[in-house]
Amino acid sequence: MTEVLSNFIRALRATDVRVSTSESIDAAAALDAVGFGDRGLLKESLSQVLAKSVDEKERFSECFDRYFFAEDMSGVEALAPAESDTNEDEQPGDAQAPNGETNGEGEGQGGGEPGELGNADRTELQIAVANAARQAGVSNIRLFTQRGMYMRRILEIIGIEALEDQIRDAPDDDGQQLSERRAQLIEEVRAQVDRQLLLYTANSWPELREQILQKTPLSSVEVRDFKFMQALVHKLAKRLVALHSRKKKIARRGHLDVRQTIRRNIEYDGLLFETVWKRKKIDRPKVIAVCDVSGSVATAARFLLLFLYSVTEVIPKVRAFAFSNQLAEITDLFQNASAEDAISFALEKYGWGSTDYGRAFEDLESMVIDDVDHRTTVLVLGDGRSNYGDPGLVSLRKIHDRARRIIWLNPEPKAFWNSGDSEMRRLSTACDRVDVCRSVQDLERLVSEIMRTAV
Amino acid sequence: MNTKTIAMGDTPRAAIDAVRAGLAGTGYICGDSIATAVYLAKCLDKPVLIEGPPGVGKTELANATAEYLDKPLIRMQCYEGLDEAKALYEWKYGKQLLYTQVLKEKLGDLMQGATGLQASMDRLHEFDDTFFNEEFLEPRPLLKALWEEEGAVLLIDEIDKSDQEFEAFLLELLQDYQISIPEIGTVKAKQIPIVFLTSNNTREIGDALKRRCIHLHIPFPDTHLEQKIIESRVPDLDASMRRQLVSFVQELRTIELKKLPAVSETIDWARTLLLLHAQELDTELVRSTLNILLKFQDDIENIDAELVSMTRKAIGAR
Repeated sequence: MTEVLSNFIRALRATDVRVSTSESIDAAAALDAVGFGDRGLLKESLSQVLAKSVDEKERFSECFDRYFFAEDMSGVEALAPAESDTNEDEQPGDAQAPNGETNGEGEGQGGGEPGELGNADRTELQIAVANAARQAGVSNIRLFTQRGMYMRRILEIIGIEALEDQIRDAPDDDGQQLSERRAQLIEEVRAQVDRQLLLYTANSWPELREQILQKTPLSSVEVRDFKFMQALVHKLAKRLVALHSRKKKIARRGHLDVRQTIRRNIEYDGLLFETVWKRKKIDRPKVIAVCDVSGSVATAARFLLLFLYSVTEVIPKVRAFAFSNQLAEITDLFQNASAEDAISFALEKYGWGSTDYGRAFEDLESMVIDDVDHRTTVLVLGDGRSNYGDPGLVSLRKIHDRARRIIWLNPEPKAFWNSGDSEMRRLSTACDRVDVCRSVQDLERLVSEIMRTAV
Repeated sequence: MNTKTIAMGDTPRAAIDAVRAGLAGTGYICGDSIATAVYLAKCLDKPVLIEGPPGVGKTELANATAEYLDKPLIRMQCYEGLDEAKALYEWKYGKQLLYTQVLKEKLGDLMQGATGLQASMDRLHEFDDTFFNEEFLEPRPLLKALWEEEGAVLLIDEIDKSDQEFEAFLLELLQDYQISIPEIGTVKAKQIPIVFLTSNNTREIGDALKRRCIHLHIPFPDTHLEQKIIESRVPDLDASMRRQLVSFVQELRTIELKKLPAVSETIDWARTLLLLHAQELDTELVRSTLNILLKFQDDIENIDAELVSMTRKAIGAR
């Protein structure tokens, strides 16, 4: 039982369901309570113990079906009456091995006996292969490049060499037959290894892609990766929420917490010895985010907006704006529509124009100046290229004077700043911080900093 | 043990069916997954974290389980700012103050005959533990649940509304069914209670908490189950009407709305239609009672155009 379960949990982890050790113990306990007798019940119980969110439950369900596939269970059900109550280790365990065989043989019998290998029928062959696979430790497979190695190992355990000797020594007719046998065997082993590979590495490709995408500059991420990127950014946003949702407390002097004080001082016979002051919780920061969606940042705009969208989900008080030559508030749009809809709508409506920072910041000033106070962080996402027009420094500075700070995130690498029509040098005088923001990794770092130092 | 427990009988399947039947006996109709969760909670002595859209019967499950097992239900509603003093215990300050007064007056009597400081202190030490003892403890829901001799069903409602600190503080309780009171020590559960936590997912529940719980997700019920629920909750409604209204609600859930109607709303609607002696759904009837199902004016206006076709479809449904 334990081997089946631990292999299953490994497969689960491979599909990105987080399973802790204590949860594995729970799963074993649940298995004891429910038994292997009823597939539906088993699935439901394990899902409740192992998968802890709706997403995870879906992945769990897929993985479960792949692992205990149907034909497998029919075999188990035949065995079920005998063991559903007892749940002794070995029997159900072997019966449920992911390979889909109900095996009557014990471990180790898979090896050797080349003579029988020669005339074994298909089922016996499968059983032998499954056993050999277990011996070879196929469940440790991680990369598709390991396929050959594991196949070789299984074949060795199963006794391919003996079979080859036989083929060599056998007369022509028999040799022909034996060669066919060998081909079948190899085919069987390959299928077996492939199945295991699929099971245990289901998620390693996305994981790898995720790692690469995190470091890719936003402007060079391809549109087909957008969906994936979206998930990535969303993940990032969620992590940030978890990190920062704890509200900060500050002690405020001057207000005595009478109840707490009396309670604290009871041990001194009611004499007020220690005082307890009322604490006040401070809310999370207010953020005003402005995103350039003009032609010059076209490739990055989609991701900047995506990021902006995620920010509105992370921080409760965010007002979002988009502009190319005209500024528009998109807070409501972001709140009501899904990420994809909202972003394509914003791009379509406001994007692709030529940039006019002067106009945009003027608009911004008139729209938000009353809302800007010492707790507000203004976030500007843009390349600072104003087509040789007025960069809107006056308005930006006005906002700067009122706001807690202005942070400018530029998707261009630093070497390109101040070249051509870029006004970064002038604009940066009205900002508290100017930073390159080229990849998801940068985003994460910056947002985390903003949130940590906010308040 | 208790008079009524979850039967650990012959096979797990039978036991789970028994749970389902037991819950059905209290008027709570559910599928396999919910019965399994209750069964596992009992077998593994683990709390159950219930998630799902509002109004699918998360809280109701705790009620039904309490009734089924014939145990008291202790309910704690979470909210922002909930702290130990309100959830766990509080000292009875007034009584403690009175006690000190009494002690002061009696001090002379007590000290009679004691000569010297040492002797007086020794005499006094005989009494000191009485001050912080269970006499002066005012139990709040969590402590109450632990003190319950026969075990209890503890419902921690809307855990997502509480602060993260509170969540962390719950961990000790959920893992070991004990709590620490600094002045007294650890209080262990007299009988391990069945704990339900509910969450509407307004914020992500911490991993530490999730790890300690069995996770049950209750989705909206399917047509068949919902009909059975209505049948049990509003038995007077006749069958064809029931079929129509359930299929209408099911249809409604496929539309993009701000807030989808939940089971509780279906039940309310069924009651309303019963009150109105409606024999069959028709567009006018639906329109005039729609505000029971949908709680946003936007939603009501949005589906107004489709009302006729939806009603017709619902009437035709088998």
